[in-house]
Amino acid sequence: MIVSTLALVGCAGNGQGLDNNGRPIGESSGGSGPLTADFTSIQNHVFTPICTVCHAGANAPQGLRLDSTNSYDLLVGVRSNEVSSLLRVKPGDPDHSYLIQKIEGHAAVGARMPFGGPYLDQATIDMIRQWITDGALRSPTATDKVGFTLTAMSPGPGDVLAEAPANLILGFTHELDRTRIDGSTVELVALPVSPGGQARAVDATVAVIDANPSALVVTPLVPLQSGRYALQVRDGAITDLSGAALLSGSSGDSTLMTFQIGTQP
Amino acid sequence: MRVTTAGYGTLLGVLLVAGLPHAARSEPYLAVQQGYKCSSCHVNPTGGGLRNDFGIIFATNVMPASLLPSNVPVWTGRIGDFLRLGGDLRGAWSTTDIPNQDRQQGWELEQARIYASMDVIPGRLSLLVDEAVAPGNAETREAYVRYSDPDRGWYLKGGRFYLPFGWRLQDNTAFVRQVTGINMLTPDEGMELGLETPSWSMQFDYTNGAANTGLGSGNSFTGQVAWVQPRGRLGVAASYTQSDAGNRGMTGVFGGLRTGPIAWLAEADCIRDEGYPEGTRTLLAGLAEANWAIRRGHNLKLTGEYFDPDKHVNEDQKTRWSVVYEYTPLPFLQLRAGWRTYDGIPQNDLDNRNLLFAEFHGFF
Repeated sequence: MIVSTLALVGCAGNGQGLDNNGRPIGESSGGSGPLTADFTSIQNHVFTPICTVCHAGANAPQGLRLDSTNSYDLLVGVRSNEVSSLLRVKPGDPDHSYLIQKIEGHAAVGARMPFGGPYLDQATIDMIRQWITDGALRSPTATDKVGFTLTAMSPGPGDVLAEAPANLILGFTHELDRTRIDGSTVELVALPVSPGGQARAVDATVAVIDANPSALVVTPLVPLQSGRYALQVRDGAITDLSGAALLSGSSGDSTLMTFQIGTQP
Repeated sequence: MRVTTAGYGTLLGVLLVAGLPHAARSEPYLAVQQGYKCSSCHVNPTGGGLRNDFGIIFATNVMPASLLPSNVPVWTGRIGDFLRLGGDLRGAWSTTDIPNQDRQQGWELEQARIYASMDVIPGRLSLLVDEAVAPGNAETREAYVRYSDPDRGWYLKGGRFYLPFGWRLQDNTAFVRQVTGINMLTPDEGMELGLETPSWSMQFDYTNGAANTGLGSGNSFTGQVAWVQPRGRLGVAASYTQSDAGNRGMTGVFGGLRTGPIAWLAEADCIRDEGYPEGTRTLLAGLAEANWAIRRGHNLKLTGEYFDPDKHVNEDQKTRWSVVYEYTPLPFLQLRAGWRTYDGIPQNDLDNRNLLFAEFHGFF
């Protein structure tokens, strides 16, 4: 019985010419050196050698591929399938990152990861926690994360409207972090009629649209009179779920758009 | 409930109180030893999970080392004429040695599952739910409706269910189950058309694809055909998953053979995976297993496994060897103990670990 079974199974590789992850030397950094609190190191020491045995390819559990090509984009700022109220990795908040809950074994759903053990030691988990606390950046030097932009607005920039709109709509390329949106995120400003005049803030509410979480609606609380208006954003106030900030427009200022009501300024 | 003696009632009561019953991990060597199809003992034609009437009789009268006195009532699996319940619970103590790392050891509740099947039209229309209740909050593993044509042998299943691909092993960490990603941890959603005849078992599935979960894109086709004979079986399986993150194609061949007291299982899978930085990787996974039925209620299992993570890279292969003793002292209770050793490239400590474990498995 033993001999027959042995004959059906091959032998393990001797690792010659390979790095710690079993890839040809030089293909990547291969997990050499100690684990550090940056994504590349965590990928090479944890995700690639341990997690990709299951979390790889088109049958990856929960759609989570943890190979080096896909892992960052499927982890950071992405909702968990098992507990959709949590992000897999919430930058700056390891306690509310589902990844941490799964590897520490206190997630609301399912088994502790890596499935069947052995589990990550606390020093490794602490390093992943530190990476998340530091903003879960793609690389240690990255500061802009994955920026996103404004793609649509109503009224359009420079539009001249016959009547005051009930709402102003702004559409973005990413789903917004609604926890950071409030009345001060975007300011509706009545621009001065004449040079040297004072701009005047208009009371308005600002909210993410439930049915379209990548769009904001600004609702003036007072009727808008004829004149020119601008929507201005506080620097860094609008972020997506990964914590990435809205990229500045080509002008680099804080004005998202201007429009006019009536033909007379 | 038509159930139990005092002793048996106590055991089942403990399982219920503990959060309940076990999981649907199947034992395909039993089918090979007996020359049965999966559907002989399980409600699900592809095996695992809730046991049918015959499966309960088998668990009561064939599996255990000691039979209960004939006047002792036992669980039948049925509540009334239309509802069937079942469950599984597995817990284990294990110790793992990894080179250059501290030893890990301890107890763990591996899983507890409850099954229910409502036979709306007995033999034709049924609804089945497989709920994992531990660890963590409840999670629906399977929930489907199945319409069967008992005269012609075909059935149509729709909902969430496990895909058929090779041996549905009890051990979800076996290379062939881990690497293919088709196991009893990764249900998929879609439709399955199946045919069960005395000598053939075949399934064809159109599903979302596990990796497309939550992404809303892609799909998966899976098919499996097995020729089942009293002395063994031979099957082939294939799967293709389209995904934005890279497509995956898999083929597999699997078989079982009974030679006296030994039931042999084997499976070989080839996976072509797109989406890696260098393009496509071809992965190979294999399993060979011998189960020696030493005597009633005692089984010695020897398993050898092989995994090549990239056929185009030399000397990166991994193997895994297991020796497991399974003792079924009485109906609905199995005790297992085993040793497992991993062998991989010397640069990777984790691929060279050793595991010693003892497991209890209660089921009904």
